[in-house]
Amino acid sequence: MNKQIISAIARKDLKATFSSKKVWVPMIILPLLLCIIFPAVFSYFGLHTGIMIADGAKDLEKPINAFIESFPNSDMRDTLVALPTLGLKSVYYFLNFMMIPFFLIVAIINSMVTSSNSFAGEKERNTLETLLFAPISVAELFVGKVIASLIPSVVITFAAFVLNAVIVNIIAYPYFKEVLFINANWLILMFWVIPTLVLFNIVLNVLVSARVKSFQEAQQFGGLMVLPVVGIIVSQASGFFFLSPLVLLLIGAGFLIGNAFLLKLITKFNQRNALFESQIH
Amino acid sequence: MENIGESLPKEIKLGGILVGLDIVEALGVEKEFAGRPILRDVSFTIREGSINGLLGPNGAGKTTMIRLLNGVIDATSGTMKVMDYDPKTHGDEIRKRAGIVTESAALYHDMSAWDNLVFFSRVYNAYDPKRIRQLLQQFEMLDKKDQLVGTFSTGMKKRITLAKALLHKPRLLFLDEPTNGLDPEGINDVIHYLKQVNEEEKVTIVICSHVLHQLETICDSFLFLNGGRIIEKGTRSELEDKYLSEIKLMVETGLQPADSRNFLGYPYIRVSPTQLEFTLAAKEEITRLLQGILNESWVHSCEITNRSLEALYFKIRGESHE
Repeated sequence: MNKQIISAIARKDLKATFSSKKVWVPMIILPLLLCIIFPAVFSYFGLHTGIMIADGAKDLEKPINAFIESFPNSDMRDTLVALPTLGLKSVYYFLNFMMIPFFLIVAIINSMVTSSNSFAGEKERNTLETLLFAPISVAELFVGKVIASLIPSVVITFAAFVLNAVIVNIIAYPYFKEVLFINANWLILMFWVIPTLVLFNIVLNVLVSARVKSFQEAQQFGGLMVLPVVGIIVSQASGFFFLSPLVLLLIGAGFLIGNAFLLKLITKFNQRNALFESQIH
Repeated sequence: MENIGESLPKEIKLGGILVGLDIVEALGVEKEFAGRPILRDVSFTIREGSINGLLGPNGAGKTTMIRLLNGVIDATSGTMKVMDYDPKTHGDEIRKRAGIVTESAALYHDMSAWDNLVFFSRVYNAYDPKRIRQLLQQFEMLDKKDQLVGTFSTGMKKRITLAKALLHKPRLLFLDEPTNGLDPEGINDVIHYLKQVNEEEKVTIVICSHVLHQLETICDSFLFLNGGRIIEKGTRSELEDKYLSEIKLMVETGLQPADSRNFLGYPYIRVSPTQLEFTLAAKEEITRLLQGILNESWVHSCEITNRSLEALYFKIRGESHE
């Protein structure tokens, strides 16, 4: 594989992503809303105002306390029980656990935007044909495209994480006397699960967009990736299935194995001739 | 295998080394898509340094032939050699040495002309700003190098595509319908640039087209493809010798022959008060006819009207159907 060719393709795609406002603005807005503004607003109002202990919320106290007491993870249960108010309990639980799916959603949607555009986009601009006429291997083309999709998704997600950690801790530290987000669970999530998940999603999308006819079809397939995250939201919210560091490590490893499997599929199905005959008319 | 230029030697000696002159050889090439034959028993050779027209109606298999020669799709059967490489096994070696202008201007519209060329030169492992500048200058696009390709006219895009195809100094250049969508001026420009590239850089050129009259002046030899078969091939003069059984000569003259159908034994019809169309058996008779006319009147122009590529093409097609 020729590094110069891979970097030329990756740089070209990165430039295309960041030169089109229609592409990069939504990629920034989504994490800004979900991962920065929303948790900041939630913690501020949860901790600084009495919304959570208003009269209406009082009715909720019983079922919430019952939920906490039956919580499967004992450390978490003890911490939650020890917190003095319902507001603090809700904010603490939300920041530690319910935020995880938000980061997953941002990573998935952003990587879907860039990757589903990769092959289908070249095809729609009639440039895929020219690229296949060039002395580059299909593997070089794939790797260049995967890198170009991976970098913005991961960098944006990391940036959102750092900003979120700084802002939320400024708001919440006086109440909890502990630094949130800088723990094994979150660090494994950010630096192990998110990169492998994004890579998996991108490779899957690049594979799919090299097989389907149009950009829309590629996005339809990519949309399916959101489903497991919905499952995680439900399980986190119910406390039924808990994302412990070990579970997160296993999920990341699962994605890594999935990546190896997809790469094998790519090399098997995407010979230049097969790609050309299926994509160029 | 038959050569396009039968009279040319198959090999020449350069400094005591035997050099093959055929840059492309195809023998019995067949291609099927989903059981439907696209090319059938196609055999031809192309001389290094020549400009070749691959002509035929839409769907004749011209584009498929170019793709096969570049190894981006595989032939069902038959053998090919392009610059001594087999497209099936050594496609990348061919693609390193061949340039392509596909039918649609395959450029990135959101990038400038310069950035497009830099990208493709890196893809071809041939990044050289001097070469890019030289090509932009040659195709008169240097002053627009920083403009987005999306803002260019079809003709300008075509020139950038042509520059793109020449970045890596190819030995062989394929062009698929290079004049499609161009205005007459754009067509003339492309023909002019192609001649220049062929002469200055000694690039062998293969042009696919269904618009025949544009290629008349530029091509050295022709391949006629129809329904996936090569129905005729040869140089212009070879084709004329074979298919011109009579000469139609249009003469602009003040001649008023006494006989309303014959002059000096040559039949004619009057097209306008100053134009007569003569039918002759051979080109050799033109001189005698003109001498006879000049003895009696003036001549402002004379032209063989049935030797155009288009006329030859229809004749060839007609005969191949019989």
